[in-house]
Amino acid sequence: MSIFQQLGFSGLGIGPVQSEDEMTVVPIVGPTRGDVASPQNLQFRSTTSYGTMVFENKDDEREAIVPSNYMVRGRGAQDHAMSGSGIIQKGRSRSFDNACCVEESQGGLLRGAEQQDVLPLDLRKALLDTGIRSRNKYNKLWGKIGGWLRGLNLGRGGRAHIRDFYDAPAISDALENFAAAFEPVENQIGAVILFNGVPVGIEIMPSSEHWEVYWKYLIRGCYGAELVRLKMLGKIRPSALVLPNIPEGSDDNKVEEIMDNFAAHIQQELLPLLEDIQIKTQTSLDQTGSMTTTLLRTDSDGGGDLVQQGDEPVYLSLVL
Amino acid sequence: MARTKALKIDSGILQYVPKGQFYEESDAQFTAVMNMWQQLFKHDRTLFSLITLLNGTGFSKGAMNHMLLANSQSGTGTDIVPDALPQEFEANIVRYNLQKLSEERFARAIKNLLMLAGGEGFIKVNNARTRKLILEFIFSRDNKNLDSLAVNFKTKLRKLVRHALGKQTVHKILNEDEMLFTKWIGRYNSLALPVVEHLFDKQPKLRAKATGYFPLIRQYWYMKKAATEGNVENFKKYMKGMPQRTVIGFRNSFKVPIELSEIYEKSKMSDRESLQSEAAVKRSGAKTTEINYKKHDVYDLWKSFYFKLLSGDSENMDKIAEAIDYKSSKAEKLSLGECVVVIDASRSMAGSDERKLHPFLTSLSVLSILDDVKEVIYVGGKTIETPIGIKVVVPMNHTDLWKGLIRAVKTKVPNIIVLSDGYENAVKGMFKHTYDYFKNNGREFNLIHMNPVFSAEAKSGTARMLTPDVKPLPLSDYRHIETELIFNRILENKEMVKALLVNKYQKLLGGA
Repeated sequence: MSIFQQLGFSGLGIGPVQSEDEMTVVPIVGPTRGDVASPQNLQFRSTTSYGTMVFENKDDEREAIVPSNYMVRGRGAQDHAMSGSGIIQKGRSRSFDNACCVEESQGGLLRGAEQQDVLPLDLRKALLDTGIRSRNKYNKLWGKIGGWLRGLNLGRGGRAHIRDFYDAPAISDALENFAAAFEPVENQIGAVILFNGVPVGIEIMPSSEHWEVYWKYLIRGCYGAELVRLKMLGKIRPSALVLPNIPEGSDDNKVEEIMDNFAAHIQQELLPLLEDIQIKTQTSLDQTGSMTTTLLRTDSDGGGDLVQQGDEPVYLSLVL
Repeated sequence: MARTKALKIDSGILQYVPKGQFYEESDAQFTAVMNMWQQLFKHDRTLFSLITLLNGTGFSKGAMNHMLLANSQSGTGTDIVPDALPQEFEANIVRYNLQKLSEERFARAIKNLLMLAGGEGFIKVNNARTRKLILEFIFSRDNKNLDSLAVNFKTKLRKLVRHALGKQTVHKILNEDEMLFTKWIGRYNSLALPVVEHLFDKQPKLRAKATGYFPLIRQYWYMKKAATEGNVENFKKYMKGMPQRTVIGFRNSFKVPIELSEIYEKSKMSDRESLQSEAAVKRSGAKTTEINYKKHDVYDLWKSFYFKLLSGDSENMDKIAEAIDYKSSKAEKLSLGECVVVIDASRSMAGSDERKLHPFLTSLSVLSILDDVKEVIYVGGKTIETPIGIKVVVPMNHTDLWKGLIRAVKTKVPNIIVLSDGYENAVKGMFKHTYDYFKNNGREFNLIHMNPVFSAEAKSGTARMLTPDVKPLPLSDYRHIETELIFNRILENKEMVKALLVNKYQKLLGGA
C-alpha cells in the first residue's frame, strides 16, 4: 500500500519526472483538497518576541495552513522558522510561541518578511522530536544549525546563522539554479523529492494555487539547500540519470520510441519506492476549527505533519 | 554565438535589461554583464564604443555610454582613433545613440542621461563632456519640442540641469544672470529662460512675450493655479491636451474632484501609453478612444493580446490579432534559410513578475520576422481557445525539448531554430543525448538556439546552452537578432569587424 493510500489521499496522479543532477522531482497532480484559505490570504505579520511568530488569516470563511517549518528572513532582525505547520482560524491572527530563532547573534524583531523559505531537510528532521518541537525556547535549534553549517567554511566562525548559508554568493547561485531547473506542471499540488533515486521528501498542498506559491521555498530552501550542503561536504555521490542507449542505425521513429519509453520507465521505476514508506506512529498535535494536525513518524525515522479537514487529508509534509 | 578565449563576452552586453527572470534576481545578471562591459572596455575602447552603434537595449547602451563618459578619452593608451574616423568620433557616437534612442523611447533616453546623475545605481559623472551632452540634448531643439519636453519630464529635467550646472549656477540663472544663462543655455536656445524657471518651480511671467513661445508651460501653470484654488471649471479647461500623467498628478496632489474617466478622455497620451493603459481606461469607465493597433510594435501587440487573454478581456482581441498578422506580413524578414522553429512553452518561459511572459513573447515576435518557416513546434505549454475562436499556447508545464528536436528532425528541414531558456528538466540531458545521436548518425541539420533569457549562471556568456556544440544566441529583444549575428564575427575577427563598424559609423554619422 502506498503512503498516499495509508493516509487516505485519493485522486492523486503523477506528472512527468523532472531531474537535475542528483535531484529528481516527481510532480503529484490532483484536485483541490478541502476548503482552505488561499495562500494570498495568509500573511506573516511579525515576531512579537524571540521565538514567537505571528500570522494572520485574512479569509473570513476558511482556515489557513502555515506550511511546515516555514522560515522568514529580514535584515536587522532575527530570522525565524516555525517548528512545524500551523492552522489559523478564519479571519484571525495566531501567535506560535514555539518558533525557532535561526540567527544566533542577531537582535531585533521582524516586521513582515523580506524573504521566505522552508528550513533545510536535516534541520526539519531535528524538529520531528516532539520534545524539541513543543519547547518554547527560541534558541532550541542553534546547536543543530551550528552542526549543520559545520565544515562548509563559510568564514563566519561557526555561528548558528542559517542566513550565512543562503546569502553566500556561490550557494545562492546554486540554489537559484535548483529553482530554475524545476517547473510546476498543470494541476500540480505536490511532489515526491528524491536524491540519487532515494525519496527524501513528500509534499502535498491543498491546491495547485498553494503549490504555485510554496514550491520554490521547498525546492530551493529546503531540498536544494540540503543537497548543496551535502555536495559541498562530499557526502553525496555525484550522479545523473543514465540515459538510454540508442542503437546505431535507428530511424527517427525508433529514436522517439526509445526516448518516450525511457521517460515512462523512470516514472514506473520510482513509484514502487513509495510502497516502502510505512507510517510507524501518529500523534495528534492540534485541533483548530475544522482542522486537525497529526505528527507522523515513518519507519525510516522520518516524519512530518498531516493536516486533515474533517476526515479529508488536505496537507502533508514528510521528510524521510 | 562566438567568443574568444581572451574575452569572455557575448552580444548579451548589448541586450541587458535590469529585470529579473523566472528564476534569477536581476543583481546577479547585472554583475555578469558589468563584468563583460569592463572586459571589453579595457581590451579595446574603440571597439567598445563602435559596437554601441549596433541594435541593443536602451539600458545597455546607456551603461556603455556612461562608461565612456566616466573615463577620460585621452592618455589611456587604448583610445586610438581609427584613421577613417574624426577625433571626436566617440562623442559623436554617444550623441547619436542618445538621439536615436530618444526617437524610439524618449523616457529611456532621459533615464540614460540620469545615469550620469547617479540614476539606476550608477556613479555620478560630471565633466565638460557630460555637461555639454545634457544641456545640448535638452535645450538644442525647437521651442515647440522644448515646451512639450519641459512639461512631460519636468522633474527629471530639473535633476539633469542641476547636475550639469550645480546649484549655485542654477540659482544665479534663476536670478537673471544673463551672462551665465547665455554661456550654458542661451547658446542652444536664447528664449529658454521661462523653461528653466518652470523646471525649478519658479513661475514664469505668464503674460510675458517670452513665455508665449512655450504655450504648454503657460497652460501648466494656469492648471496648477486652478488646482491649488480648487477651481474645477478652470482645471478642466486647462487640462485639455496636457500630458495625462501630469493631470492625474495634480488631481491627486490637490484632491481636485474630477473623475479619472474625464481625464482619460481629455488629456493626452502617447500611442504606446494608450496601448499600455487600455485596461485602466476601460476600468475607469471613460469612453475609449479607438487605438490603431497596426501602428504598434509586434511585441507590444503580443503582450497586449496575452494580457487580455489572461485577464479575461476579449475586447479588441480580434483587432489585435489582425494587427499581429499585418505587422508580421510587413516586417523586414530575417532569412536563415528554410527552417522549422521549436518554441519552448514550458513554465519558465513565462518570465518573472517584473517582466511577465517576456521570454515567450520574444519567441513569438522572433517567429513573426523569420522567413521561410516550414513548421512551428511547441514544447510544453497549454493550448487554449481564445474568445475570438483562435487557439494559442500559454507557457505551462515541464520542459521535454528532446521531443521537439525529434519532431523537427523528422521534417527533414535543414535549419532547426530552438527558442528556449536552455533549462531542460524532463529529464536533464535528453536533448543533448538525442542531438548527439542524430549528429553522429548522419542526420544533416543546422541547429540554432536563440535564448530569450539572460542567465548569470550560464557556464559562460549570458545565456544557458542546451548542448555544448551549439552556442546560444542571447536575445532579449527580437529586433536584436542582427546584432547577434554581427557580434558572432566581431569576436572571431576583431579587426575585420572593426573595419565593418567604422563603415557603419561613416554611413550613420559621416566620415573624418
